[in-house]
Amino acid sequence: MVYTDASMIITEACVKAGSDVFIGYPITPSNRFYQYGTQRFPAFLAGTDEITVVQWMAGFSAAGKFPVTATAFPGLALMAEGLNMAYAMELPMLLILTQRLGPSTGSATTGAQGDLMFLNGLISGRYPIPVFSHSDFEDAWEMTYESIKTAMKFRTPVVLLTSKELVMTNKSFDLNKLKEIKPVEKYSTDVIEPYEPYKTGDEMVPAYISLGDEKYQVRINASTHNNAGLIKKNDPESMANTRRLKEKFEKRIDEFTYFDHDKEEGASKLIVTYGISADASKDAIGRLREEGEKVSLLIAKTLLPVPGAILDIINSYDEVIFVEENISGIYKEILFGVNNSPKVKSVNKIGNLISPSEIIKAVRS
Amino acid sequence: MTKNNILTKMKMPFCQGCGHGIIVRSIAKALEQLGYGKNDTIIVSDIGCSGLVDPLFDTHSIHGLHGRAPALGVGVSLGLDNPNKKVIVIQGDGGVTIGLQHVLEAARRNIDITLVVMNNLLYGMTGGQISGLSTQKFKEQRHFEVDVPPFDIVKLAHVSGAAYSARATSIKTYTDVMKDAIEVNGFSIVEFSSLCTSYAFKKLDQLQEVIEPPEVFKNERIPVRVHHRDTKSLFDKLDVIDKHFDSKIDSRLGVILAGSAGGGVQSAAKMLATAGMLSGLHATMKGEYPVTVGTGFSVAEVILSRSYVNYTGLEKPDVVIIVSEDGLNKIKGKIKDNDILIIDSSLKTDDFPDAIYVDFNRKAGKRGAALAALAYWMKKSGLMDIESLKKAVSSHKYSRILLDAINAGLEI
Repeated sequence: MVYTDASMIITEACVKAGSDVFIGYPITPSNRFYQYGTQRFPAFLAGTDEITVVQWMAGFSAAGKFPVTATAFPGLALMAEGLNMAYAMELPMLLILTQRLGPSTGSATTGAQGDLMFLNGLISGRYPIPVFSHSDFEDAWEMTYESIKTAMKFRTPVVLLTSKELVMTNKSFDLNKLKEIKPVEKYSTDVIEPYEPYKTGDEMVPAYISLGDEKYQVRINASTHNNAGLIKKNDPESMANTRRLKEKFEKRIDEFTYFDHDKEEGASKLIVTYGISADASKDAIGRLREEGEKVSLLIAKTLLPVPGAILDIINSYDEVIFVEENISGIYKEILFGVNNSPKVKSVNKIGNLISPSEIIKAVRS
Repeated sequence: MTKNNILTKMKMPFCQGCGHGIIVRSIAKALEQLGYGKNDTIIVSDIGCSGLVDPLFDTHSIHGLHGRAPALGVGVSLGLDNPNKKVIVIQGDGGVTIGLQHVLEAARRNIDITLVVMNNLLYGMTGGQISGLSTQKFKEQRHFEVDVPPFDIVKLAHVSGAAYSARATSIKTYTDVMKDAIEVNGFSIVEFSSLCTSYAFKKLDQLQEVIEPPEVFKNERIPVRVHHRDTKSLFDKLDVIDKHFDSKIDSRLGVILAGSAGGGVQSAAKMLATAGMLSGLHATMKGEYPVTVGTGFSVAEVILSRSYVNYTGLEKPDVVIIVSEDGLNKIKGKIKDNDILIIDSSLKTDDFPDAIYVDFNRKAGKRGAALAALAYWMKKSGLMDIESLKKAVSSHKYSRILLDAINAGLEI
């Protein structure tokens, strides 16, 4: 056994998966990512603010290097325009988002699960940006790997959503539980000749050729653009290219759908959770089952875009209990809206972890 | 290197008489004369009238956000494997205004890019509003913000460390100044005066009357590049902790340790977690303290358990140890009746008549009190072998001091 934390596990997974550079701006509770990043990444740069961080990342990515950063909500807010840019340009990168209590600067050292709605609307027009979540250490390792693979495969920024308690709590851990990670090949769909920077085939993702390529002229563009990568308003090709930003994820969502469904035969109730609240939910399920209660547990790991497979599971239960450390249930609201169905319950809390007892009480009420 | 035409055949997309076309041609001529080919050049463009340049250049191009092109260009330059590629960033005076820090940062690091500033004194695309680079004389003509001086981006870049910074105001010098800038190894910036016929002046002479004079500054510096290094796995530095001792903890035990920052609380808690692991238990530990260092409270929660710990909160702590007033004030609301409560004698209060009061601070000092209290509890409860705690501290760089604290606790 070793004594470690998920910040270290995620950092190590990033580098094992082939990340080239960490570009950081310090913020609590992402401090340990910065600290470990300086020790472990092949290259490390200290940005002057989060706006700069995303621009540098985009530049690296356009030059064929995989960049990683870690921040919290105040940093994410500054990054919003730059992330839209990188999304429209289709540049792979990883953003680790450590949630803390808001609004605003809130409490930097108190955990929360408050940022999912912002991510859901982050890209103007509500184009989906892949958001993954982890709970335990093995999950942290694997979901980091899947996040980077997805970023490469789909040429997109990806968010790994975590929280203070997940990445700053130390635990005893057996490193042998971690599966081997091989560097993600700089994934590229084949070039369709004659090359055009944003021309795509069935995969709906353009070939990933770096700026400065000797053979192909690469044009990358954040504004509405045609296949040539040049600004073009309102023509069918550019509009199709814009729609493709959503369609590429919808069409291939099965390739990055991750969840744990701990199914109890005969159960009509389902606890739905993610991230930090998954730990308490696992303990609650254990105690409920010991006392003869039939309850299932769904831990979502692909949070956005919402996979159909997760909806199918949720729809197969009579009663669904959402467990989230925020004031009103953000994941619940994304799935069910504000007009709640009677089958939906919610366990919420701010300022502290939700405890197993609180979940048990809600399941029984 | 083959002779290339850097420009495409596209017609200039600017308004009639706009100065931007002249600057674009000067950039292309400079590149051609210096032998740069289409694939050797990367144009990084901004937003605004200057952002229309991409399709004019038959080169690589990347078109980003308003004011951010210099930062994007920095990323591209640092990310490229081949340092012989030329990264040329083009933005307007509005872009410089909103993204001033990116320019200064590129200059400070002396990143190998050439920044072209097309200064037409205003925001053309949104209707001619003045910018941070609008000159004093221009603003006087407009009777607008006359008491606010402009940024001198050329001087600012120079004092920030740019290898080369220049202002060019005469069209016939543009190509030569551009060549000088391109040939610099490091950050170069050229502010070109540009005529906006739509919102400023109809004639070049009128523009000449309001602009700042030409200037050139140089810093002898080598450009900053990315340092690549081989690193070892973070896991290599972790100690492997195996079971050496037995313990009587049969299911799960939660401990809260509360004291003051600088009092060794976090370190003592880590030692307890390690002692637990040395006793074959699963352990979790988390700390809470103010963002300041060395003042205020410091609280740590440790869980030791036979089985894997999912939920790391403490619904009900089993043992609460308090060694300072900061710690007492922070956690007194969390204390339940049935906890084992161990408090430093100096904090004796009627609120907790059943607590065990012990002289940790006096016996082990302020820095040793937390660890001494843990040792005291371990011995008193008999739940863990005290040797596990001694072994936990043995690899610490201050192991002798920590051991003294443990012994002080044991002697009480």
